[in-house]
Amino acid sequence: MDLFTIIFYAFALLALGAGSVVVFSKNIVHAAFALLFAFFAVAGLYVLLMADFLAITQLLIYVGGILVLVIFGVMLTNTVISVDVKTGTVQSMPAVLLSAALAGMLVGMFWSTDWKVTTQQTLPEATGNELGTMLLTSYVLPFEIASVVLLVALVGAAMIARREKKA
Amino acid sequence: MVEQLIANLRGFIPEVSLAVTFCVALVAGLIVKKHQQEFISVLALVGTLIAGVFVLIYADQSQTLFSGMIVADPFATYFKVVITLCSIIIILFSQYSSEVQQTVKRMGEYYALLVAMTLGMFLMVGATNLLMMVLAIELTSLTSYILSGYTKEATDSSEASLKYIIYGALSTGLMLYGISILFGLTGATDMFGVNQALAAGPVNAIALLIASILIIAGFGYKISAVPFHFWTPDVYEGAPVTITAFLSVASKAAGFAVMIRFFKVCFIDSNVVGLPAGMWASLQGFEWNNLVAILAVLTMTLGNLVAVWQDNMKRLLAYSSIAHAGYMLMGVVVLSDKGVAAVLIYFAVYLFMNLGAFYCVMLVANKLGSEHIDSYKGLGHRAPLLSTAMVVFFISLAGLPPTAGFIGKLYLFAALLDAQWVWLAVIGALNSVVSLYYYVRVVRNMFLRDPEGSAEPVALPVAQVVILLALVIPTLVLGLYFGPLVDFANASVVMFGLP
Repeated sequence: MDLFTIIFYAFALLALGAGSVVVFSKNIVHAAFALLFAFFAVAGLYVLLMADFLAITQLLIYVGGILVLVIFGVMLTNTVISVDVKTGTVQSMPAVLLSAALAGMLVGMFWSTDWKVTTQQTLPEATGNELGTMLLTSYVLPFEIASVVLLVALVGAAMIARREKKA
Repeated sequence: MVEQLIANLRGFIPEVSLAVTFCVALVAGLIVKKHQQEFISVLALVGTLIAGVFVLIYADQSQTLFSGMIVADPFATYFKVVITLCSIIIILFSQYSSEVQQTVKRMGEYYALLVAMTLGMFLMVGATNLLMMVLAIELTSLTSYILSGYTKEATDSSEASLKYIIYGALSTGLMLYGISILFGLTGATDMFGVNQALAAGPVNAIALLIASILIIAGFGYKISAVPFHFWTPDVYEGAPVTITAFLSVASKAAGFAVMIRFFKVCFIDSNVVGLPAGMWASLQGFEWNNLVAILAVLTMTLGNLVAVWQDNMKRLLAYSSIAHAGYMLMGVVVLSDKGVAAVLIYFAVYLFMNLGAFYCVMLVANKLGSEHIDSYKGLGHRAPLLSTAMVVFFISLAGLPPTAGFIGKLYLFAALLDAQWVWLAVIGALNSVVSLYYYVRVVRNMFLRDPEGSAEPVALPVAQVVILLALVIPTLVLGLYFGPLVDFANASVVMFGLP
């Protein structure tokens, strides 16, 4: 096992572990902090894939921006900290069986499938330049539509959150 | 490259005009004074009309745009026409919906989001790249979540919105997971590229099957097919009637368009010779249409059987729309141009009859303040025109002649029998019989029961009568004179890049 593989497994484990804390933790502050590690681990995986620009973006935007906002939001909202997240489990037996079957099937599939592997051997020096060009040429339409999607999301969030005077 | 992108904009004018209308309506909502908010609806109406005109002007084009992200072809054009008509009718409905008109302050956002949703659907029907497809579906979904919770003073509206988001997020997640598996197998996000990779050599059949099931979950959610339908009754009941009507027709149409295109383009085997004209085969014996057949049977049976027990008219129509999605799925199963044409015809017909039914429910709710089936008792004597129109829509939904619904069903069953899917046709026919029961139940309440409480006549303003007639007349006329519609649908099964 070379160093590369070891680092990969370390980051993958961190991502999975932190991810499960996010899902299973009853304390929303813990969940928010665990999310930090999950995002960080994913950034590490991007580095291993030589996606330098993506890794930096992940760090800057998700870890540095969005997550800090989330944590601030959680800490500043008293009612969220003091109240335990309501988690109830019903029908746990069928759920466990179904999840186990699904997991088994997926793992089996990932094991037995011949995935399409790129034959390209040379890796690009840096991806930022190429990504930028592609975003404004081949991928310009999804790029622009993504901005419409975000605008819609913003308008919707503002509309739902706005306090209204009773008529 | 840049010149090419600019040249591509020409085929993209309808979408551009919708995007511009969206932005203008948003800004107008902030500027225009409260008592002049009708201005925004006029703006949205004009913008949508312009988009519709451009769709018709460029109707004969068949080309791929923006490096294969979307195509503009006859198939997309047909759906764009249906979606544009639907948005125009919904914008007109909104003028007379007391639910929407109560919230004067947010009118700008309402119309802007309606236009954005139309834009999302336009992109859905043309998308040929999986990335674009997901983005378009997300744009449509996000706007529908917001609009279902639009009347946020009503608790059931907020509840509808929340349920919609949770189911929506789950199904999007499933679909993205499926797409990632498909990408892992083929190394392409372009649908034509996926097809080439699959045609080049066999891939793991189980992985392909799992990917398809996961992707179907995404589509099934948009068209509210069983077992991805759980959100439908609650959202349809809680959302404002205008949005419910829009979701039940346009959103479903876009979902069907994207589903048909995805499966046809990705899994068609163009090297099979000796098939009858208008039929096509799926790759490597991968019978995805069997999956869809199971979905169709489940969807129409459950939709119809549960609709029988509903007492709220919106819930009844919600289950009825689930059942109709099931009927239309039968047209996808047969893998023939006839089947696709039948789905197209059905949508044109469904547009008028389903919007009509929802419009009647909205008018009754405006007047009586209730959507319960009991409040329809004796309505035939109090509002003869409205009740008669409703009977026409319900007969059409049940698929009886001489209405348009009969023509829609006729072509569907003809396509099924043509491709020798007899058992499916039988199940579909049995379902139609069940559906007759709950439609007639409403008709019986309106005409054969005495009114409870007030028996005063319910009068409608002229403008509302005009809209009602504009929906009734096509429902009747298309049942008798359907040649042009059928020709249009038959000409519209052509997809870019496929023989």
